[in-house]
Amino acid sequence: MSDIALTARPKNRGVTARIVAGAWSSTEMKIAVCIFLALALMTLLAPLVIDASATKITVADRFLPPVFMEGGRFPYLLGTDQLGRDLLLRSLIGLRNALAIGVVSVLLIFVIGCAIGIYSGYRGGWVDVVLMRITDVQMSIPVIILAITILGMSRPTAVTVILVLVLAGWPTYARVARSVTLAERQKEYVRAAKILGASDLRIMALHIAPSILPSIAFVAVLDIARMMIFEAIFGFIGIGIQPPTPTFGTIISAGTQYLLNAWWITIVPGCLLALALTSLNLMGGVLERSRNLVLQGKL
Amino acid sequence: MAFAIEFFLRRLSQGLLIVLLVAFVIFTLLRVAPGDPIRIILGPMATATAMEETAQKLGLRDPIPVQFGRFVLDVAQGDFGRSFIRGKQGGASGGSQDGAMDMADRAPVMGLIATALPYTLLLAGLGLVFSFLIAVPIGLAAGLNAGRWQQKLGLYVSSLFVSLPNIWVGVVLIYLLSAKSGLLPAIGYRNFAYAIIPAIVVAVEMSPVLIRAIAVSIASNVQEAYFDIGQVRGIGRNRMIYRHVLRNAAVPLLNVFGAQMIGMLLGGLFVVEYIFSFPGIGLLTINAVFQRDFPIIQAVAILASAVLVLINILVDFASTTIDRRLKF
Repeated sequence: MSDIALTARPKNRGVTARIVAGAWSSTEMKIAVCIFLALALMTLLAPLVIDASATKITVADRFLPPVFMEGGRFPYLLGTDQLGRDLLLRSLIGLRNALAIGVVSVLLIFVIGCAIGIYSGYRGGWVDVVLMRITDVQMSIPVIILAITILGMSRPTAVTVILVLVLAGWPTYARVARSVTLAERQKEYVRAAKILGASDLRIMALHIAPSILPSIAFVAVLDIARMMIFEAIFGFIGIGIQPPTPTFGTIISAGTQYLLNAWWITIVPGCLLALALTSLNLMGGVLERSRNLVLQGKL
Repeated sequence: MAFAIEFFLRRLSQGLLIVLLVAFVIFTLLRVAPGDPIRIILGPMATATAMEETAQKLGLRDPIPVQFGRFVLDVAQGDFGRSFIRGKQGGASGGSQDGAMDMADRAPVMGLIATALPYTLLLAGLGLVFSFLIAVPIGLAAGLNAGRWQQKLGLYVSSLFVSLPNIWVGVVLIYLLSAKSGLLPAIGYRNFAYAIIPAIVVAVEMSPVLIRAIAVSIASNVQEAYFDIGQVRGIGRNRMIYRHVLRNAAVPLLNVFGAQMIGMLLGGLFVVEYIFSFPGIGLLTINAVFQRDFPIIQAVAILASAVLVLINILVDFASTTIDRRLKF
C-alpha cells in the first residue's frame, strides 16, 4: 500500500470498516457481490416476469430442452422438467428457498452460538465446563446422522430443516466466541466497566459482544453457503422441504431418472446453485482473508 | 511414557462419557419422533393386538431410561441387538401380517455393519487419496508463493470446489463418465471400478478444506524468520521446505484433519453412498431411517461418534508428540 493511502486513512476508523474496505478493494469481491445481487434480484423478480408456473403441470410441454438447444422453445429459457414445469422458474424459486433457509439458520446459529459462547467464557467455572461438554457431544454427532434421525422420522418442514441446521451449527460458534471472550475478559476496558458498576449482562451485551462479534460475523458468510448445500442434500435424500415446493434437492433427485434423455433437468439447476454458492464462498473467502490481514495489523 | 498413559486414560474416559451422551440423545430422538416402527415391521394390515404384542416384545413400551439402560448393558457386552426389518438371509422381511414377529430370524446389527464397513472404508480411503492428490500440489504451490498467481489459484479452486454440492457433482459425473461415455461403472458395487466415481465426489468435497489448511500453514511458516535464517546459513530452499517447513506445518494440518475433515468425511460418505447406491454404512443407515429400523441407526450413530472422538484423541496426542510445547 502506498504512503498516500496510509496517511489518507482516518485514524479512528473501526475494524469492521477496514475489513470491508480491504475486501472491497479486490476484484473478486466486486464480481462476487455483483453475481450474488443479480441472482438475488432474479429470484425476487422472476415470478413476476416469467410467464409460466413453477408448480402447474403441463404434460404437452414435458422434457423441453433449454432454448439454446435444438427443440427448445420460448418461454422455457432453461427447458422444462418431466412434468412440463419451467426449470428456470423452479430453479430460481428453489434458490430463493435455499437462500432464505441459509440466511435464517446462520443468523440463528450466530446469535445463539455466540450468546452461549460469550456467556460460557465470561462466567467460567462449572457453567463453562458444562456448556463446553455439551458442545463436545453435539460436535460428535455427524450432521447427516442428526438430520436423518430428526427429519427422516417426521414430516420435514422449513422449520424443522432450520432447527436441524441450527442444532448442528451452533457449537462451532460457541467455541470460537468463548475462546475470544476468555482473552477479552482480561482486558482493561472490561475491568473498567466492572469497577464502574456495570452488570455482567451489560458488560457481555454492550462491551464484549460488539468488540468480538464483527470478526466472527465475516466467516458466517461461508456458512450460509454450507447450510444451502445441506438443504439441497436433505431435499435429495427426501428429508427436506417436501414437493411440490421447488428445492434444488428435489429437482435434482427427480431428474436423475431421466438423466440420459433429459440431462438438463438435473444439470442446469445445479449450475445455478453452484453459481450462487461460488459467489457466496468467494465473498466469504475474501472477507476472511481481509479480516486476517486486519487482525494481524497488515491492512 | 507416563505422560502418554495419563493422557489416554483421561481423554478416553472423557470420550466414553461423550459417546454415552450421544447415544442417549439419538436413542431418545428416535423414540420421541413420530413414526411407529411396529407399523412398518408388521405392515399396514396388522391388527392392534398383534402390534401391541410386538411392541411389548421389543420393549418399546417401557420408559425410555429403562430401554436405554438395557441397551447400554447389551452394548457393553458387544451386542447391538437385531435389525427390526432385515432378515438373516438378507432382504427385508416386513409385512408378515399374521401375529407378532419372531426376533430370532432377524439379522444381528453387528453382522450388517461388518458386511457394509469394508465398502465404506474402501470409499473413504480412495476418497482421501484422491483429495490429497488434488490438494497437496495446489496447497503447497499456494502456500509457497503468497501474493502470486498460485495463491489466487488456490483461492479459486477451493472456492469453486466448496461451492459444488456433492449430490450435483455425483449426478454430473454419472452423466459424463458413466451414462454418456461408458468409461466407468457407477451404480451399486461389483468391483473396484465402481468405487472410482464416488471417490472423486468425496475428494471434490474434501479438497477445499485441505487446500486452505495446507496453504495457510505453509505460508505462515515461510514468513517466519527461521526460514530466511536457515537459507542464509546455507541450507537450500528445498531442504528448508522438506525438512523444516513441512514438519512445522504438520501440527495445524493434523488439527484440521481431526476437527473438520473426519466429520466432513463421515457426512460426505453417507450422501455419496446414497447417490451411488454404494452398499456401505451410509446407505444401510439411510435405508434404516426410512424403515424406522432403530437398532441400526443407534449402532451407527454410536460408532460414528466413537470414531470422531477417538480420532480427535489420536490427533491431539500426535500434535503433542510432534510439538512438545503443546502439552495437554
